[in-house]
Amino acid sequence: MHLRPRLRHVIVLGLAGLALAAVGVTAAQSKPLAAGHATASTILDGTTDTVTNVDPAGNYDYGSGTVDILVYQHLLDLNAGSTVPAPSLATGCKHNATVTVWTCTLRKGVKFSNGDPFTSADVKWSFDRVNKIHDPSGIWGLISNLKSVTTNGPYSVSFHLGTAQSTWPYILATGAGEIVDHKLYPANKIVANTDVKDLVGTGPYVLSKFTPGQTAVFTPNPNYDGANGKLANGGLIITYYSKSSTMKLALQKGEIDMAFRDFTPTEYTALGKTSGVKVYKGKGVGIRYLVLNVKRAPTNNLAVRKAIAYLMPRQDIASRVYHGQVVPLYSMPPAGLPGHVDAFGEVYGMTPNVAKAKAVLAAAHVTTPVPLTLWWTPTHYGDASADEFSEMQRSLNASKLFKVTLKSAEWATYSKTLGTQYGAFQLGWFPDYPDAEDYITPFYGTKSNFTSNGYSNPKMDAIIKKEEAAKTSAERIGFIKQAQMIAAQDAPIIPYWQNTMLVVGRSSVQNIPKTIDLDYLMRFWLLSKS
Amino acid sequence: MNQTGPSLKRYALTRLALVVPMVFILLTLVFLLMRVAPGNPVSAALGGHAPPAVIKAISHQLGYDKPVYVQYGHYLGQIIRGNFGTTISDRRSVGSIILVNGAATLELTFFAMLVAIAVGVIVGLIAGRFRDSPIDTGGRLFGIVVYATPVFFLGLLAQLVFGVWLNWLPTSDQASPITQALLQTHTNIYLVDAIIDGDWSALKDIVEHLILPATTLGIVYGGIFIRLIRVNVIRTLKEDYIEAARARGIKERSVVYRHAFLNALVPVITVVGLQLALLLGGAILTETTFNWPGIGHELYVYLQNRDYAAVQGIVVVFALVVVAASIVIDFATAFIDPRVRY
Repeated sequence: MHLRPRLRHVIVLGLAGLALAAVGVTAAQSKPLAAGHATASTILDGTTDTVTNVDPAGNYDYGSGTVDILVYQHLLDLNAGSTVPAPSLATGCKHNATVTVWTCTLRKGVKFSNGDPFTSADVKWSFDRVNKIHDPSGIWGLISNLKSVTTNGPYSVSFHLGTAQSTWPYILATGAGEIVDHKLYPANKIVANTDVKDLVGTGPYVLSKFTPGQTAVFTPNPNYDGANGKLANGGLIITYYSKSSTMKLALQKGEIDMAFRDFTPTEYTALGKTSGVKVYKGKGVGIRYLVLNVKRAPTNNLAVRKAIAYLMPRQDIASRVYHGQVVPLYSMPPAGLPGHVDAFGEVYGMTPNVAKAKAVLAAAHVTTPVPLTLWWTPTHYGDASADEFSEMQRSLNASKLFKVTLKSAEWATYSKTLGTQYGAFQLGWFPDYPDAEDYITPFYGTKSNFTSNGYSNPKMDAIIKKEEAAKTSAERIGFIKQAQMIAAQDAPIIPYWQNTMLVVGRSSVQNIPKTIDLDYLMRFWLLSKS
Repeated sequence: MNQTGPSLKRYALTRLALVVPMVFILLTLVFLLMRVAPGNPVSAALGGHAPPAVIKAISHQLGYDKPVYVQYGHYLGQIIRGNFGTTISDRRSVGSIILVNGAATLELTFFAMLVAIAVGVIVGLIAGRFRDSPIDTGGRLFGIVVYATPVFFLGLLAQLVFGVWLNWLPTSDQASPITQALLQTHTNIYLVDAIIDGDWSALKDIVEHLILPATTLGIVYGGIFIRLIRVNVIRTLKEDYIEAARARGIKERSVVYRHAFLNALVPVITVVGLQLALLLGGAILTETTFNWPGIGHELYVYLQNRDYAAVQGIVVVFALVVVAASIVIDFATAFIDPRVRY
């Protein structure tokens, strides 16, 4: 019978393979981790963020932005501890009388990590290619007001805008304003993430290896001159996790030194009690809000919207659902940003008020309980969203003024629908730049409102226009405050919490508090490791 | 083999020819299902952030506003040219996803299959040999329990026990961050890359990272083999040639181990092929649980992002792998067992 010898051959081959692996493992056990010593000051970070593109012309998401600020610089940067753009690759920027042309003087002697000198040609190239590539990420939308860029010699550049824009310095500090080497980056296409040798910038690190969805390895940029703060570590490796629970285990076991974004509220609480691990907390700029459709019943009735505003259980959501990891929010611009006012607190009070909600509904002859459907999504704003909306439902129903039904949809469906079909729905916002304007224009301008909730108020539009053209900061802040008060009165959107910036680190990582501020930027280069 | 050669060749050619319509049907189905599902890659990426006009402009730019049959024609044209496309969400070529992440899945499923076979063969043989004894009961119970256990649950338990409580093994990833940073990529299969470089410390690290996910996935699928092998052993022990061997005075140990066991293993090879599809399905959950950067894990992410090109490409690759494995298993069976005819 031929059966046994043939089968035996197959088995022997399989066993030989296993034996080979076993020999390798046995040999490995007698040697130390070769890389251990050389990388002692390399920081190992974990994140659940994802990276779409490293090339600045091809991304518009936080995960990619976090990588980019390590590799690239802007003409103006948001340095630690300040929300005002400060000179970085430029020594300063000034606008003309109509705030339609901004001219920046560039710093001399700056070099890219490959040794190429930085000049105005790189600036023009960087902005022009963002517009030319017109990447599906939508990053070009940030500079849609830019008509042209002109160079005035190697160290001066002018930005010509379509309309007056007082916040242009902030735009210069966004992802759309990251400066790339014009000799390396194609004018009309994105550099692939894995072509790391071509992803050259002037920032603190060089991206030396990138494996999509797995790791990003950064080594110090020898030409970085410390303009955004001294580089305090020997490198950085970011590991990307698909689940926060896995990242939590890795952090607890010491497989990574720190983690930034994002754990569940329960996980943050558990990590806070873990020996050798500390949760660092500071104010954040991410917000959560309830959008009310002003064209669709019952929220097309101002009294109904006001009643919801009176009843919003901000404190309960912050304490019960998020264990204090978010704070109640009373206006779209979060507390801490210049111009913020507690508009909803002033109009509706700082705590829920059933009596006033009842009165406003009665005055408008609205029959109670008002049937109300609240939409939320379980696949975009974190696991706590379910509890958040259960809390909202409980609170509104307890008033006996509303009968709330909760409905949810997966993000891909939800994000496409929003105000086109939903009457009241959950959304979150993370700003493009830390300025109150970025919490007003995208929500309340008739043409710029992306929520499709039908809100339009000529008075608000006029204020937004004036704010955009304001020549001084004080003047601009004045308009921002006016806009917030109108927004509270009209209540097409009810903000209810702002996040905190939470970073979890093992005791070996120092200086984490240095980078926790309202810019919400993880400046890894400021951290050190012992 | 001479007698089976021509018919086997004809069979193989037929199977290979059938791959073409099968892939075509699959491509069409996946394409249509993705379009029927609400939302598209642009709304998933930019919804809740960008104005509707921007979303509309980008959808137009990418051709998602064209009729489905136009999109389908364009897609098929690309496929015929061997271009699986580029993902929308992170602009990777689908080919690179298959190469890089597919290698990670290959590594995981290969070792998981080894674990499954090892567990199945050992427990199944012993249970079958000692039929109706407490050992048999224990083996059967073990087989049922592990097969019924969700792979992610077993994975979480393994992480907790061996990763956290005992602190023996890493809980996630294909290798430690340092190893991933320093390892030179040759084949994208970390184990092989480490061996090529002679980097034994990296190899040790990679093996340590492989143990929990491969064992978890392997044990779950070992349950199937346990039941199969047990039944085969029991049936083989009743065969005439076993009786004849005993009648010739051959020692019982030799009868059982040399005659019965080896013959009982033949059907396992067929089942290995069939199990590959299930194993790939299980790998998606295992990869997510252990943050293993395999193709299943990527599929999960791309599905959430409604990334048409990625989902279509990965599903087709899954199908091709299963078909290829099935053909290989047919050949292997014919090679090992001359009784098999095609």
